Amino acid sequence: MAEFRVGRGHDGPARIGELILGETTFETPLLTSHQTKNQHIINTGTLGRDEVSEGPMIVSLPFISDINDLELDLLRQDDVYLLPYLSSFGSLSSEAPATILDYQAQISRSLSSKILPSQMILRVPPEIPLDSLSESIKQFQELGVSGAAFVFNGQLGPEDMRAFELRSRLPLSMMVVALGRITPGMIPLLHYYGFDIVDISHGEEAATQGVRLWKKGPEKIEADRSHRYCPCSSCATLSDTDNLFDVLDGHNQETYRVALSESIHAMESGTLRWLVEGSTHNNTAMASLLRSLDKTLYTFIEEFTPTIGTGTLPLIGPESYNSPAVRRFREHVALRYTPQQGKQIVLLLPCSARKPYSDSKSHRRIAEVTSVVFGSIQPHVAEAILTSPLGLVPRELERVYPAAQYDIPVTGDWDTEEIAIGAQALSAYLKKFDKSAVVVAHVSGGYLDIVRAAEDEIEQSIVYTTHESRATSSESLENLQETLVELKEVLAIQNEPRTALRELVSATADYQFGSGTGSLLVPEDAKLKGKPYRMVLCHVEGEQVCSYIAETGTLSLTLEGGKRIASVGRYWVRLDVDNVKGGSIFAVGIQEADPSIRPGDEVIVVNKKNEVIGVGRSEMSGREMCELNRGRAVSLRHKVG
Amino acid sequence: MDEALNRIHETVKQASLLARGQSVTRRRKRNPLKPSAKWTAPARVGRERGTALAVVLSTIGCAHARSDSGGCTMCSYLLDGTQEMPASEQLVEQFETAMVDLEGKEAPFSVKIYTSGSFLDPAEVPEEARAAILQMIASDDQVKEVVLESRPEYVEDAVLAEVRRILGGRIVEIGMGLESANDLIRTVCINKSFDFEDFKRSLETAKRHNIGLRAYVLLKPPLMTERDAMLDAIETIRVAQALGVTTVSLNPVNVQNDTLVEKLWNRRKYRPPWLWSVLEVLREASKESDGWMRVVCDPVAAGKIRGAHNCGKCDNEIVQAIRGFSLNQEASVLQKPTCSCVHQWQHILRHEDTSQLIHR
Repeated sequence: MAEFRVGRGHDGPARIGELILGETTFETPLLTSHQTKNQHIINTGTLGRDEVSEGPMIVSLPFISDINDLELDLLRQDDVYLLPYLSSFGSLSSEAPATILDYQAQISRSLSSKILPSQMILRVPPEIPLDSLSESIKQFQELGVSGAAFVFNGQLGPEDMRAFELRSRLPLSMMVVALGRITPGMIPLLHYYGFDIVDISHGEEAATQGVRLWKKGPEKIEADRSHRYCPCSSCATLSDTDNLFDVLDGHNQETYRVALSESIHAMESGTLRWLVEGSTHNNTAMASLLRSLDKTLYTFIEEFTPTIGTGTLPLIGPESYNSPAVRRFREHVALRYTPQQGKQIVLLLPCSARKPYSDSKSHRRIAEVTSVVFGSIQPHVAEAILTSPLGLVPRELERVYPAAQYDIPVTGDWDTEEIAIGAQALSAYLKKFDKSAVVVAHVSGGYLDIVRAAEDEIEQSIVYTTHESRATSSESLENLQETLVELKEVLAIQNEPRTALRELVSATADYQFGSGTGSLLVPEDAKLKGKPYRMVLCHVEGEQVCSYIAETGTLSLTLEGGKRIASVGRYWVRLDVDNVKGGSIFAVGIQEADPSIRPGDEVIVVNKKNEVIGVGRSEMSGREMCELNRGRAVSLRHKVG
Repeated sequence: MDEALNRIHETVKQASLLARGQSVTRRRKRNPLKPSAKWTAPARVGRERGTALAVVLSTIGCAHARSDSGGCTMCSYLLDGTQEMPASEQLVEQFETAMVDLEGKEAPFSVKIYTSGSFLDPAEVPEEARAAILQMIASDDQVKEVVLESRPEYVEDAVLAEVRRILGGRIVEIGMGLESANDLIRTVCINKSFDFEDFKRSLETAKRHNIGLRAYVLLKPPLMTERDAMLDAIETIRVAQALGVTTVSLNPVNVQNDTLVEKLWNRRKYRPPWLWSVLEVLREASKESDGWMRVVCDPVAAGKIRGAHNCGKCDNEIVQAIRGFSLNQEASVLQKPTCSCVHQWQHILRHEDTSQLIHR
């Protein structure tokens, strides 16, 4: 038997899974090479041409006119087979790529009398247009072909970029194989983009040329030169020049395995993106590749990027500015966030190293000032924190992922792109307020540059309160206090009952489920109680509709809450049954799901009559819920009955 | 062949036509009285040491290459020919010019007539020119061996009977581009436009007239991996030997102008064969040949980027071994060359097959 199973867990399209071949189960991501004795690496070879290993292999089939040209008695039930191909044929004309795919489909149909379609891997011609692949792939999917292979030339240029783009068009349940010249430094990126099997034969190629591979690049080994110390067991005999190939080959395989182990660990701890961003410093080509990929394939990687996370999220360089979690946050704030009506003052503040900002010393000192002026009641004051690369964080959203988790190197200087990002976020944010509101910019240094850069787009009047000294200096704080006192008078702001909890829950609802949901979950008569830094419960007509969990900065719905926002038509998962049983819903049972669902989202489960029958947290994206046939899709929190 | 394969072949055909472009109709005008090329070299003629004359007649070129079927994917020999069909007398004079070169050289002689096409195609070499040229050879008793070139479609009993009648008891061989014994490869990768059956029929026809067949075997047509190509050449030689060809001439592909191969090569999607592959094919061939069939190889542009090449360090040594073997059929010289790049070649043999990445 041969089966590929996508497992749980996500960090971008990265995934873990299993390739089950007879008695043997390989965990993916998995490395492949020829003639290796290493258990964690699956062997490759060509039918009738290479040594056959005892365990399962990935076997390539030579170009043939008919399957009877193959040595059919060599086919084994526990191997997987790369379908025949004609090198470079796809470059011959615009129809050529589709033609070679049709040829493979034809071969796979006749081959299915000998081996299972789930044992077959098609080879995707690099020249095929993206839409044409989406179309051509259907015939393989219908047939049950389990995987697709892409080829990399290792130059990290347009051809390699193309392989990533093509990969993004595959059905999600397909096993994805990266073949060709792949350096150890590419492993995190390939894993991040959801490649399940990676060809590491380049390690052997390098060894034939006397080259030792390291994570960051190659090292030429020359007999009479000193070389880098390596503690690996293979390199212990590096001085044995008669055996140099074996020594280098062993070392190189080790380097790939270490790279893979690091990558898998990073995915499990939610830091794979960080690892990938770090690998851009291996060389400039790697950096250009990731930047182009972020631009071109944003929607693909964003779709699989979780909306919740724990632990620190380091955002270190320009590669982070458009990382999916960051860009999505900016877009949600710009498109979904809605401030409470009646705000007369918008207070802009600098970010703090400590998250959430409210817990930081600097924000506490500023809070002292505002409470002196307004009491603890500030229904007419909105607060927003300027930062990079998130742009701007409304105070109510400071605990949302990744606002509470991100960590950046602090120098007080922002680069041009950061300033542009901040300015864009700021002007979009201020458009949500009345023109008569007053913007109090209590910021200095780079933050001030952001406000200045946005000035032309801002319709409100702006008061600067720091005189370019630090926001937390006594002088600035005094100045802020004076300004606020003055504004309170001028704008005739009255002390009114507190609304902080309402604003917090409503803004979080809008951010999480889309504009307008805040007013559905937190109507005028809603009763709120709790602490913003712990938990806030929201009741409507005596029934709890949701709770705000400070730890994640998100709302958990009750069934009642689910019903209240079901009409918005988002974040729903539809089942073919009347009621749910058990604590989880598996992908296999899901009929349809909102494609805007991301892993980690709060979702509403409905039956075919569109009645809410449960609420819970998604474990995968909406599209995966539909396309995958296994795996936990939703962890239920509440259900009917 | 089925539908998908037909489409694959059609694509190759069109791509080949496209690569050829205007080159066929824009050939430069040549002096119709001079051959495109001619050279003499010491050679083994029969069992003796003598001199071989090779002459490439300037004709309008191979009918297949001129046709709208695209010609062969690796060949632009017809660019050596001329745009306008030379008159019969002019062709004869071309040949006469070349024959002069044999004067004073060590006999016996071998004469090889190439035309960048088919010498037996009357549309390329009119019958009277053909007869006159053969007569000229027949009048020189020192010429013991004659090699002509032709595609199979022109090899007919009547024509060969005439050749045999004029040339009398001389050793005669017809050089024919079998290229591959595999119809799929010959059709799809080479666009040769004849079947293995056609070759076999020609061979039988030739045998009836006691004329030998020199099979040209191609090493590494486009669209194949290094190992695909090497195994196919070995298999082709085995099949050719079993059929009874008299000579196998192994031709490693070189990148010629205005061909599909060149187009792929420019895009880094083709690499001419490694000299290691040439050696390996010759080693296997010499095992097969049992001393009766000759195996020769004169790789064009060997050691250069457009021809069969290795790492650059060992190329000369290997080319010499290949030439040495061709001259004396001594297989032991093929075992000698060593170089560290052999490991890289071995890697490529395996890895191109599995990855389908062209290693250049």
